Amino acid sequence: MKRALLILIASCAWSQSGIEVPSAGLIVDSSGSLRAVQGVAGNFLLGPPMATGVLSAACSEQLCLAKTDSKILSATGQVDAPPGPAEFGFDRDTAVIFFPASQTFVRWRDDTLELLDWTADGEVLSMRVGDNGIEIALRRDWIGVTNGLVLLLKEGVLFATADELVLRHRDASETRFELTGAETITSMGPHYAAIRAGALTFALRLDPGHEQLFVLPGNMP
Amino acid sequence: MKCVVILALLLPIAARAQIALYVMNGSTATPAGTALDLGRVAAGDTVSVRLRVKNNGTSVANISRFSADGIGFTIDRPSLPFPIAPGSAQDVLLSFRANSPAVYSANVQVNSQINNVSVIAVATVVNGPSLTVFPVCTGSDGPPPAIDFGRVQAGQLRLCNFYLQNTSAQPMPIATFQVTGSAFRQSSGPKAPFTIAPGASTAFVIEFTPGSAGLYSGSLAIETRTFGLSGTAFDSPLPKPLLEFDSGPMLSAQQRRLTMRLPTAAPATASGFVNLAFTPDTTLVTDDPAVVFLATGTRTLPFSVAQGSTQILISGQTSAMFQTGTSSGRIRFTLTGISTDGDPTTTLTIPAALLSFDTTTATRRSGNLDIQVIGFDNTYAAGAMVFTFFDTLGQTLQPGAILADFTQAFRAFFTKTQAGSAFQVRVSFPVTGDTSGIAGVEMKLSNSAGTTTTHLAFK
Repeated sequence: MKRALLILIASCAWSQSGIEVPSAGLIVDSSGSLRAVQGVAGNFLLGPPMATGVLSAACSEQLCLAKTDSKILSATGQVDAPPGPAEFGFDRDTAVIFFPASQTFVRWRDDTLELLDWTADGEVLSMRVGDNGIEIALRRDWIGVTNGLVLLLKEGVLFATADELVLRHRDASETRFELTGAETITSMGPHYAAIRAGALTFALRLDPGHEQLFVLPGNMP
Repeated sequence: MKCVVILALLLPIAARAQIALYVMNGSTATPAGTALDLGRVAAGDTVSVRLRVKNNGTSVANISRFSADGIGFTIDRPSLPFPIAPGSAQDVLLSFRANSPAVYSANVQVNSQINNVSVIAVATVVNGPSLTVFPVCTGSDGPPPAIDFGRVQAGQLRLCNFYLQNTSAQPMPIATFQVTGSAFRQSSGPKAPFTIAPGASTAFVIEFTPGSAGLYSGSLAIETRTFGLSGTAFDSPLPKPLLEFDSGPMLSAQQRRLTMRLPTAAPATASGFVNLAFTPDTTLVTDDPAVVFLATGTRTLPFSVAQGSTQILISGQTSAMFQTGTSSGRIRFTLTGISTDGDPTTTLTIPAALLSFDTTTATRRSGNLDIQVIGFDNTYAAGAMVFTFFDTLGQTLQPGAILADFTQAFRAFFTKTQAGSAFQVRVSFPVTGDTSGIAGVEMKLSNSAGTTTTHLAFK
């Protein structure tokens, strides 16, 4: 009886599907504008600026958030926030956000912020909400390894040295990419990290077995 | 009565004011005096001199007459009458031209309500030498007489051959024979002074050797005649640049590297632009906007090469990366802004390929099976799909292969977006029963290049 499944014909299936331009995530360009990245690996297009004056931005599979000096922006709205940049840790359709300037943690849910009674025991470099709770990368734990560019990932951790990007997997294996002068690392989307180095922004594909570093098209004024 | 007194006081002052006539040589003004000699003029040539009439008085001078009464003399001046404010001046051009040898004169007269000026202008027309210019140079008897050496590559030599002929019945003494101008030089022919017998001629050569690109001028003075010399120099063309790419077949969705070099050293520093353009094979789209140079997201980058170097820098870098897009077609690289010894245009062909999957997922939900595909179809002919579901034992589930044709939907999508062929499609299959028994799906997607098959396991 279990084999006697009924899978409806494709004409019905088609009524439930759609075709879209694939999204790779969001970046903050060199002028502080939030821009969508579309396309597939090796073929990226930058969308027009969606917001300006953006200090931080990150995306998960379900959610993208951006921080201006005074707001947290989402696809559904915005909410007042402490000044300065932010670190994001996504938890399905919510997020934990850390504001370095005020050393405060909040939980973002549906364009509202709930203050969390958490304290960071050092400078927070990156956060990630996993199945077993929240992971936080503190600068003191990375001294001698990197100057502070760390991004905690589902797949492991990505960090930058003076001349390399290092993707350290959960099994401690590493994949290294030659890149000098990395300045920021952010979560561009569920499959990519965005790395800014000088005038260029790179996209590192994170899918296991497909790790590759790409250049995103520049944004001439 | 009061007015009469004032007028009487003013009259002596006005009487001292006067207009005066000067001959200009550049910015130097020399009083014209009572006679103005225009010198010897070759028959048929025009000689001109700039005159300046200046109001040295303290009241406005209204010029009511400014004429040169004599055969062959003309004056280029403002319409009469015209005023000249105190301390101001007005320049005019006095010209003379006649075809028959003789002495010509004219009374140059300037009248105003303050005072009048009269000068006798004299010109002597003689038979001048006749100059014949041979190609590749071109000549004109003018006015003004001129010889054009044309366009010459900087650093190269161009020779112009001339015949100087005495068409008159008398011997023609040539006391002046001089070439001026930094790039012009007489390389052969007579040296002044010399005499050309009646009806005789003499040959000479002037060479034009410009050192760098630009416009050049000079003069050839032959007794009574002066010919303007002109020429244009351009930078020598670069040897045909070689456009080279990192190794490996050119395919869609690649980020590739362009380098440019010269086969031999650049003869001069040069700069220009490297441009790319894309022509898709399909008619569904007119372009692929992802085919750009990555540094700027544009299709044009500046380049430069230093004299003596073979390395061409693109935006100051040794190479430039570009995207190949997601369309089969041709990427054409061209160079502009420079002269090259041959057309360096280079065309890359991006071949039609099977559908490419970037990310595929199969998700099991209650009552639904979702299949998501992110990929691209560089033929723009996607649509035909076949899905076959399997149970945990690998057995095909009924109803077996499910055919679907989304061709029209894909065509509409590609046509509407004009953003290349990258796509994300989610196909949902409603199911009844326990979906946990469905382990995977075989998916076959076809385009004009063939069929791509992939197997997905449900999460």
